[in-house]
Amino acid sequence: MKGLRHSAHHPRGRPESPAKNPVPPGRRREAATAYALVAPAMVLLTAFVLVPGLLAFVAALFRVDLISGSPWTWVGLDNFRAILADPAVQRSIVNTLLYCAITIVPSLAIGLALALLATSIGRGRTLVQTLLFLPFAANLVAMAVVFRYIYGFRGGFVNQVFAVIGIGPVNFLGDPALALPTIATVGIWRASALAMIMYLAGLTSVPTAIHEACAADGITGFTKLRRVLLPLLRPVTVLVTVLMVMQGVQVFDTVNVLTQGGPRGTSETVLTMTWRLGFVYFDLGRGAALCVLVLVTLIAVGIFRRRTLGEGSR
Amino acid sequence: MTAQNVKLIGRYALAASAVAISMFPFVWMARTSVAARESIVVDGLSPVPSSYDLSNYARAWQNADLGTAMLNGAMVTCGILILQLLTCVPAAFALAKGRFRGRSFVFYVVLACLLVPAEATALPLFLGISQLGLADTQTALILPFATSAFGIFMLRQHMVTIPDALLDAARADGLGIVATLRRVVVPASMPAITTFAVFSVFIHWNDYLWPLLVARDPELRTPPMALALFQQSDTGQDFGALAAGAVIITLPIVSLFLLVQRRFIAGVAGGELPG
Repeated sequence: MKGLRHSAHHPRGRPESPAKNPVPPGRRREAATAYALVAPAMVLLTAFVLVPGLLAFVAALFRVDLISGSPWTWVGLDNFRAILADPAVQRSIVNTLLYCAITIVPSLAIGLALALLATSIGRGRTLVQTLLFLPFAANLVAMAVVFRYIYGFRGGFVNQVFAVIGIGPVNFLGDPALALPTIATVGIWRASALAMIMYLAGLTSVPTAIHEACAADGITGFTKLRRVLLPLLRPVTVLVTVLMVMQGVQVFDTVNVLTQGGPRGTSETVLTMTWRLGFVYFDLGRGAALCVLVLVTLIAVGIFRRRTLGEGSR
Repeated sequence: MTAQNVKLIGRYALAASAVAISMFPFVWMARTSVAARESIVVDGLSPVPSSYDLSNYARAWQNADLGTAMLNGAMVTCGILILQLLTCVPAAFALAKGRFRGRSFVFYVVLACLLVPAEATALPLFLGISQLGLADTQTALILPFATSAFGIFMLRQHMVTIPDALLDAARADGLGIVATLRRVVVPASMPAITTFAVFSVFIHWNDYLWPLLVARDPELRTPPMALALFQQSDTGQDFGALAAGAVIITLPIVSLFLLVQRRFIAGVAGGELPG
């Protein structure tokens, strides 16, 4: 029982000093078992998460030529200087920020509206919720293939509708000004589903007493939403925003299928750019440097996520 | 008709149109996948095509070599899932209930790995994998994901809640560690394990970036890759076959979603979203 109480007091397992507390043989065997249980996972995490993460930082300081296979040459921070001065990389960074900016607010608004709508109906609510969540569950590459034809210049669905109402065909994916916003609509379509599910969970956890108090005070509709519900849903809004920033920074599948970064780099994002640097220009050093920037950003956002939302529950 | 009823009908109408809009790409995909070539554009606005052509599916299956891709995708997804369960469940258990020196250090390593997204390290990972001579092998598609920090973390959070008395009883019955895991811990954490398994299957069946980097061999293509390459090679604008291909690779994952939707939705709603 002594051991149990110990573990209850120190859930994180504070290492104890062996001098004060000689380890009994049973305890030692238990520790050996525990090491055996965590060892495979630790080895794999080190090999495939930590080492690649560190390798990005190391490779970013070298010139790495994949074609010639020549040895790595130390270049210090040259790769960082080079990518930050490269207009194509600059544009990919701006595009990624733009993509996040275009997707986040509409996804939050649509997601909240859908969640409010779903809670307002009784019968069939589960069905509506399932169908509205389908965009998030589907295969993104398959949906991007479908969207490519929905937005197609010739014969695409949207342009067929436009033809009926007398608007000339719009080259959604081929027009430099429209490519990125068009890709963002697919992001909004998908992220709204995520926001809806999370707002729905938030709305159902609002205590009935609050709804009753609002009804008693005659607070309804938009006022109730703005003054009562939105402040209560603030943690959900923060979490969804953080998740969208993370997904926005990592947008790749839709860009790769819909435009491959074109036309003329106007829809290039940081991940497609990393891919281009590494596997089209075979400049892995610069690719790694861009990876480092992405990694540092995502780790910072991730730390913010765990901090604000409590590392225990989320 | 009372005002209440009008309001209710209005809500249902709104919900129906919201569903219609969000489902539109799926409907369009299904419609196009069975439409004859001439019927795709000519009466493209009608929800029902004027003439059908099921050979779209045969063309997609053949031209994109979806048979190979689906089999490979299934093997990769299952391989990853099995390895993840074999490594994550014991590690999570040790972190939740084990007493050993350095437990908090190990837990911090898991938390640190949780912050490193696979997409951002794909390039250096590829560098390492090709140094090991593993590029273009099925191993390269599976091994990097053989464990999951997300899985360990999530399972650990659930296993902490298993009562110690249950484990003591197992020990009193003379169960060894493997038997305890199998007969006590796994059944007690089944909901968490299922949620994690569902997420894992979704992520790896749908993964596109990593296979794109390491799998050059046509035999190693995964379903999303095969479809994307089929589209890039499509010069004749074969909408029908592409939509059919999209249906083929979406169907297994959407069916799985419908089967486990409660768990999936509860997991997402609880903020248990990897990445």
